Amino acid sequence: MTLVWAKTQTTPEAETLTELQLEGIWHVIVLNDPVNLMSYVVMVFKKVFGFDEVTARKHMMEVHEQGRSVVWSGLREKAEAYAHTLQQWHLTAVLEPDETH
Amino acid sequence: MKRIEVRLSVTVVAPLLDVIRELAEGLRTELAAPQQLEQLDVELRDAWQDDLLESQNADLKTLLDLFNEEFFREGAIVLDEDNTDHVIRACAAVRLALRSNHLQTIDEESMESGNVDIEELPEATRKTFVCYLFLATMQELIIQHLEQSSP
Repeated sequence: MTLVWAKTQTTPEAETLTELQLEGIWHVIVLNDPVNLMSYVVMVFKKVFGFDEVTARKHMMEVHEQGRSVVWSGLREKAEAYAHTLQQWHLTAVLEPDETH
Repeated sequence: MKRIEVRLSVTVVAPLLDVIRELAEGLRTELAAPQQLEQLDVELRDAWQDDLLESQNADLKTLLDLFNEEFFREGAIVLDEDNTDHVIRACAAVRLALRSNHLQTIDEESMESGNVDIEELPEATRKTFVCYLFLATMQELIIQHLEQSSP
């Protein structure tokens, strides 16, 4: 893991901000595959991210139609944990840094 | 999720178990869905891969354990809260392996739509495709029950 914590006496909010500045934002992206059922992908999104039915379906349709969907963005360590869990469910998940920041 | 007992035809399912067992053997050391892990540190990558393999093997063992003596005697398998996640994931793993090892000749669009005429398939592919469909049916069954039991 590559998370770097700022060693200053700050509030949790300030720490999170510092982390984001040091590490940047990372995206968890799910790629399409021709095997996993649509209903399975929706179920996995609901289980892993706690999405409601509509949000889970929206991401599943993005994967299906556009080949990929950004399902989560944030700190690298958490992004890694989400990608790992999605891979445990046999979805193809990749991590990408947000180049816009 | 409530405990559910599923009755299956032993005559139909038993031959498919040979296909599943053979693939499960190959999946002991290989991930069903190879992942792109370039963004990870090398040390983390190995641990990450090992962890995924361990989880995959545990899932496959749970799936194969469903087809025990009771199944061969009475055709019944039992799904409950403790095994459904493992079983549904194992079904995904075996389906992915079936696709990459045995069903490459079927084009992507047909695979996604499920629009495949089994009678048109070569004899050798037919059994693996039926296995592929059987595992999808198991997944659908579990998903339906999960949906019915969620508040």
